[in-house]
Amino acid sequence: MHGSSTDISGFLGGYYLFLAAMNAVMAFHVWHNRHRVGEAIFWIVVFFGLMAAAASSLGHSPPGLPEGLRNAVNYATGPVIYSVGTTALLVLAFVLRKFLVQPRVAWILLNVSLVLMGLSMVDPNFAAIVTKPDNVPIVGLVFLLGFFTWLATAQAVKNDERLKQGLEPLEKLDNEKVLVWPDLVYTELICMVALTAFLLIWAISLQAPLEEPASRVKTPNPSKAPWYFLGLQEMLVYYDPWMAGVVLPSLVLVGLAAIPFLDFNKKGNGYYTIDERKFSYLIFQFGFLEMWVTLIILGTFFRGPNWNIFGPFEFWDPHKVLALNNVDLSQYFWIYGMGEALPKAPPGSSLVWEILYILKREWLGIALLIGYFVALPPLMAVTVFRSFFVKMGFVRFMLMANLLLFMAALPLKMVLRWVWNLKYIVSIPEYFLNF
Amino acid sequence: MAEPEKKKMSVAEMVAAARKADSGKSAEAPSEPAAESSAPEAAAPTAAPAAKPAAKPAAAGGAKMSVAEMLAAARAEKAPGAAAPKPAAAKPVAAEKPAPAAKPAAAKAAPKAPAAPTAPKDTGSILSETRSGAKPGPMSKAEAALKAPAAKPAAKEKPRAVVPPMPAKPDYAKPKPKVTVDESRRNFLTDVMLGSFLGIGFVSMGVTFGLWTLGTARFMFPNVLTEPPSKFKVGFPSNFAPGQVETKFIPQYGVWVVNYEYNGKSEIYALRSVCTHLGCTPNWLEGEQKFKCPCHGSGFYKDGINFEGPAPRPLERYAIRLADDGQLEIDKSKIFQEEIGQWSDPASFVAV
Repeated sequence: MHGSSTDISGFLGGYYLFLAAMNAVMAFHVWHNRHRVGEAIFWIVVFFGLMAAAASSLGHSPPGLPEGLRNAVNYATGPVIYSVGTTALLVLAFVLRKFLVQPRVAWILLNVSLVLMGLSMVDPNFAAIVTKPDNVPIVGLVFLLGFFTWLATAQAVKNDERLKQGLEPLEKLDNEKVLVWPDLVYTELICMVALTAFLLIWAISLQAPLEEPASRVKTPNPSKAPWYFLGLQEMLVYYDPWMAGVVLPSLVLVGLAAIPFLDFNKKGNGYYTIDERKFSYLIFQFGFLEMWVTLIILGTFFRGPNWNIFGPFEFWDPHKVLALNNVDLSQYFWIYGMGEALPKAPPGSSLVWEILYILKREWLGIALLIGYFVALPPLMAVTVFRSFFVKMGFVRFMLMANLLLFMAALPLKMVLRWVWNLKYIVSIPEYFLNF
Repeated sequence: MAEPEKKKMSVAEMVAAARKADSGKSAEAPSEPAAESSAPEAAAPTAAPAAKPAAKPAAAGGAKMSVAEMLAAARAEKAPGAAAPKPAAAKPVAAEKPAPAAKPAAAKAAPKAPAAPTAPKDTGSILSETRSGAKPGPMSKAEAALKAPAAKPAAKEKPRAVVPPMPAKPDYAKPKPKVTVDESRRNFLTDVMLGSFLGIGFVSMGVTFGLWTLGTARFMFPNVLTEPPSKFKVGFPSNFAPGQVETKFIPQYGVWVVNYEYNGKSEIYALRSVCTHLGCTPNWLEGEQKFKCPCHGSGFYKDGINFEGPAPRPLERYAIRLADDGQLEIDKSKIFQEEIGQWSDPASFVAV
């Protein structure tokens, strides 16, 4: 919206002032309550640095990222780098969790991310996307999600330490109950009043992002789902609408509802822990952070006109050309592999012959799918998940294995699309059956 | 009468007092004279009516009491304690065995009386004693059941609050066995069918919903359709240059008229502007010579064949023919799909 740099520099001035104040409070807290003078001095230095940034922003020359770096980031932005990068971050966050949950480290990370954000805002393309009224709440949510993830991980790490020493988890120590009235109701009332005030201010300062009147014949470009459905929209890029719009979302809901019946681990009830529930924790983190949140971020900030992927500092050019020729597995097999045309029933043949020809055309994909969903679970039962199979029994294990395989099907399909431009493993458009 | 606030404490004050008493129970325990002096104050007429309705659930609740019940019991004790001799008489009796009191009000007081055998007390001490031995906060029934046997001996050791076991439930308070339950169940269905009020209600609801459904069905078939006719003329074939994609019919009819080749034959055809993936309207990009969908990035060649993105099949064609006056006429009521070989149908194109 406001593309001009004066707008941004005024905003950035306030932004850096806020960050500086934040660090000043931290310096005071460290010095006064924790008596760590050296650390306090460090935060004071940060404070002065941010004050300098604020001053230059208010003087209409906000500090920004160098052109070369921005171009490099744009160049590197692609589905492969993005997904591999986010997965690597997730793995790092898990492996280094004991280091990352220290408040000092978390504070440094928060500062770094906020400053990076401020530096990036100088770029008009970045600012245009981030300050779009639609996207402002998503930026806020990203930071909020980071905070809560950190908080929960910190609790879990603390509890894991305690459990290792034979102590009970923190949540069991503080089990004093409070009254609904007045304790809970008053808290809720205060939250309600504060939130209403916040929403009022927000509604006044950021106009509602209304668009042109809806038209049957013109779809806005890009057309985005509500932010919370952008993960589903991303899934639709890789799957047939029947799969990505109906079957897989239903399976997500059914699978979530099935978790209590599949779960055989009695530990971790009522307190945060990672070590006692590693499998559940990792599956959840992957499913939520990787398969849901990062796809929302991808859809919000990186998907531009014609649903192409754009770098964070790249102009959203509706005429950007990307080579995206997609090929079905049957075409790979028959045309590229065998050097023939796709098998096709001669015109005028009966329905049975047509179906037989379709099966012949798609036999490889069908065989792969059957192998994936039917042959793989027993294989898992006797190898990696042997102990699970013993504990869960046949039905529960098969259910869990199939849910897991469906969950893994999305990233697998994404990789296949990006690496081999594979469109559908089984493609029967005649009967709307594509996978 | 001198301090009206003292008699009528607000809930917050009571709770605060209860907490205070909870935390420093032994220190806060009311002494005899203090309790005596509060008795005349409790004679206020306002306390008695307030106590009665609130105190009733306490009788049913037995040993486990919510805060409200405790408070109500406290109030009930204050009022009769000064107004009538009944509870005063009941208390010593209750200390030994539960006397069948004449009035329900007295019976209500009886279970509580052992906890406060001497005199009416303030809310805080009532609360604190009722919760004696328990951890702070409201108790669930399960917790209270767990606590009950442990709490009683503990209370007995203390000289101050001697808690005898709870009196047995009087006969009239026990739940009555239902005698008629089977009969009423047996008749339920016939009652519903044969005109009980429930039956009337359900039947009229069913009729109403049925009428709604019929009305909705009627709504689907309006008397007048304001849609454009499915057949329309788009001009002479000579208006469409070879290789041209005409987009001007999109706003009104949602159709591209294309003069291009399919399978090596040049023909004019009408493409339906609905993406075969999820139904968005693709854009014709002249520079890239392709149809591109803004929703999920599906791309189609000029002949309508899908080549990028998730669209599983080519765009669809509408029926097109040369009308008698030499103009092209498109019929949107017929659709031709490439993947089932319908594009070879002569109704789906006009050869040029």
